[in-house]
Amino acid sequence: MFGRNRKHDQPRPDENFEPYEEFSGIPMPVYWIAIALAIWGALMLYDTGKDVTLAQDDRVEDRAVQVSADLGEGGNLFVANCSTCHQPDGQGLRGAVPPLAGSEVLGGGPDIVARILLRGIDGPIRVRGEDFDGHMPSFASALNDDEIARIASYVTLTFSEAGTKLDPSRVAKLRDELADAGSFEGGAELAKLATSMSPQPLYPVPKMADAMTATVRDLVFVGRGDVWACASCHGDLGQGGENTPRLAGQSADYLAKQLNDFRDGTRNNESMQIVAAGLSDAETASLGTYFSTLRAPSNASPNLSADLARGEQLALRGDWALGVPACFTCHGSSGFGVAPDFPALSAQHAPYTATQLATWAGGDRQNSPLGLMRQISQALSSEDRRAVADYLASLPPVPAGQTASAEEATSNVN
Amino acid sequence: MSTDPKAREGDSKGGKHTARNIIFAAGGGLALVALGTLAVELGLAPTWLTGEPVQKTAMAEETQHNLFNPPDPADIPDDEFGAAVQRGMAIFTNTGTNAADHVGNGLACSNCHLDSGRQPLSAPMWAAWVAYPKYRGKNKQINTMEDRVMGCFSYSMNAQGSPAGGPPPHGDDIYRDLESYFYWLATGAPTNVSMEGSGFGKVEKPEQGYDLARGEAVFAENCAVCHGPDGQGQKDLNGRYVFPPLWGADSYNWGAGMARIDTAAAFVKHNMPLSQPGKLTDQEAWEVAAFLDSHERPKDPRQTGSVEEARKAHHDGDETFYGKTVDGRLIGVGVQASAAAEVPTED
Repeated sequence: MFGRNRKHDQPRPDENFEPYEEFSGIPMPVYWIAIALAIWGALMLYDTGKDVTLAQDDRVEDRAVQVSADLGEGGNLFVANCSTCHQPDGQGLRGAVPPLAGSEVLGGGPDIVARILLRGIDGPIRVRGEDFDGHMPSFASALNDDEIARIASYVTLTFSEAGTKLDPSRVAKLRDELADAGSFEGGAELAKLATSMSPQPLYPVPKMADAMTATVRDLVFVGRGDVWACASCHGDLGQGGENTPRLAGQSADYLAKQLNDFRDGTRNNESMQIVAAGLSDAETASLGTYFSTLRAPSNASPNLSADLARGEQLALRGDWALGVPACFTCHGSSGFGVAPDFPALSAQHAPYTATQLATWAGGDRQNSPLGLMRQISQALSSEDRRAVADYLASLPPVPAGQTASAEEATSNVN
Repeated sequence: MSTDPKAREGDSKGGKHTARNIIFAAGGGLALVALGTLAVELGLAPTWLTGEPVQKTAMAEETQHNLFNPPDPADIPDDEFGAAVQRGMAIFTNTGTNAADHVGNGLACSNCHLDSGRQPLSAPMWAAWVAYPKYRGKNKQINTMEDRVMGCFSYSMNAQGSPAGGPPPHGDDIYRDLESYFYWLATGAPTNVSMEGSGFGKVEKPEQGYDLARGEAVFAENCAVCHGPDGQGQKDLNGRYVFPPLWGADSYNWGAGMARIDTAAAFVKHNMPLSQPGKLTDQEAWEVAAFLDSHERPKDPRQTGSVEEARKAHHDGDETFYGKTVDGRLIGVGVQASAAAEVPTED
C-alpha cells in the first residue's frame, strides 16, 4: 500500500539482492498482536471448553438422576412422558385422550403397552365405551428399552388387574421385531392382540395413496430444474437433519403457507426461495399434503448441550415474568401443532428450532401471525432459545395420521 | 514488510512512521477487540452493549416489582397437603377431565385465570384467596370461597350442561382440592387486603361507546388466528381444545362475569393477545369485548321465566347485551350445550 507511493520517486531496488530485509526485524507491535491473540485464543478455548464440559457433566448427571433415583417403579417416567395427555391419575382427557385407568387394552399386560409405546397409534379406538380419534406418537426414538419396560410395568400395575413386571430384554426383542411395523391402525388392530377389548371402530383407508401423485413423487424424489428434489435435503421420509427442518407430520396448510411465503419473499432462505419460485399453488398445496401424511421416526436429538429442565419449563409452563407463555399453550399439548398457523414442534431438530428463534429475534424471519414469535423470541436469551430447542428435539414425533378420515370411519361403524 | 534503503534513511519521518503508526493502530485495535470479545464472553460487559434482552427482564421486574409472587410449583410440599395442592392444580388446568361431571362446556379455569391462576390482572387466585369470605351483590349474601367457586362452575363452566347437571355440591372434594391450591398460591400474602394485580383490572368505557362492526374487525385482525374465524376455538389432532371457544354452546353461559362487556374488555386489554397484553387500545378492547359478548351462548341457569324477567332480576344495569335486541334478534335465549351430548354414558 505505502510501498506503491514510494515507487514514483525512488529507483527500483535491485531485484537479486535485498540485504535490508536481513536487518529489519519483525516490528514490536506484531509481537504484541501475536501475543495478545495467543492469550485471547487460549483463554477462549479454556472458557468454551469449560462450558462444554460443565454442560456435558450436567446432562450426564441429569440422565443418571432421571434413570436411577426414584424411577424404580417407572412413576416418574410416566409423569414425565405420559401424564400431559393421559393425566397423572390415568383418567385421560374427556373426548380427546383415552383413559388408562380401567382401559380394556391393558388386559393384554405390559407386553401390549410396550408394543404401543414402540409403534404408536393412528386410528379410532374405543375405550370404556367412548370413541377416540386416537393419535399417539411412537416413543421408540424417545425412550430406551429400560425406560419402556419400566413405564409398561408401571402402567399395567397401576391402572389394571393384569399388571406384571416387564423385562427390558423383552422390549429389545420387540423393538427389533417391530422396527418397520408403523403405528397401530387404531383399536381395530389392537383388538387382535388384546382379546379383552370390546368391538372396535373400523380403521379408515389411509390418505397416503391420494397424496402420492406422480407430480408429487417427481418433485420429492427427482426434482425439476431449479426445484431440487425435496428429499435431497429433507430426507426420503421428510425427517430433515440439523438445520434442515423435519417436515414429516407437519400440517399441510402450514407447509403450503411457508412455501408460498418463500416464494413471495415473506420468509428468507436463499435455497428455499429458489425452490419455491418454481412451484405452482397447486404444487405447494399437494406437497404440503404429502408431507403431512408421512410418519417418520424422529432422528432429532437434544444436541445443543443446553439446559433441558429450563427447556421443559418454557415449553410446558412458560416464563410469564418475561412475558413468555408456554409453547404448548398455542402449539398444542406435546407440541403436536394446531393447523394452520401453529406448526408442530415435537421432534424438530434443535439447531433448526434455535436458529429460527434467533432469526425471529433478529428480525430476519417475520412471517408469524401478529408478530407473536418475534416478541417471544426477543424475550428469550440465547440460552433459553437453545434450551427450548433441545427439549423439543427430545420429544416423540407428531403422530401424523388420517385426521380427516376419522369421521368417515365413525360413520362406517354407526 | 517492504522496506527500502531510502525510506529507512531519508524518509524515516515520513513513510516508515506512517507504516509503523498504522501497524501500531491495527495492533492496538486488534488487542482491544480481543479483550472486548473476552469481556463479552465472560459476561463482564454491560448488557446494553451485548444486546441481550435483559432490559426487558428488568422492565418486567420493575412493573411487577410490587406484585405478589406466588411460590414455585417445584416447591409444593411432598405430603398429604401437597397432594391436595397438586390435585387442585390439575382440576384448575384440566377442569373438563378432572371435574368432568360438573363441566358443561369446553373451558378450563386456566383459560381465563392465566398461568394456572398466577398471572396478575388475570384474576389471580392468590389475590382471590385473601379476599374471601365477602359480600357479593350477585347473590346478595356473604360468599365463602366455596360459594364463589360454585358460582364459577354454574356460570363460567356451564355446569347445567354437564353430566351431573349442576356444580359440585357443597363439601365436595373438588372444592377441598381447589382451595388447597389457592391457599398454597397465596403463601405469604396478607389477608383481607385488596392486592395489586387482583381481578382483571378496569378499563373505562370509551366516551364514544362501542361499535360491533369495528369490534368484528378487531377480532378478525387480532383474535381469529388463535380462536378461529368463527370464535369457536381450535383443537389439536386428538380433539383437545388448545384455544378456547369464545361463544356458542361450548363457551361460558350468560350468567358468567365474562359475559359482561366491561369485564371482558378488562380481561382482553390486560391479557390478550397472549404474550402481547396492552396491544389493543381501550376503545378496541371494549369493541371486541362487545362483539364476542353479542353472540349467543348457553342460557343463564337462573332464568326460569322469560329472558326479560331474568334480565330484570339478574342483569339490570349491567354492561351487557343480555335481554337486548341486536339486528332484530333477542340476545340471551341461549344455545343448547353440546358437551353433555358428546359424553356417552358409562356402561
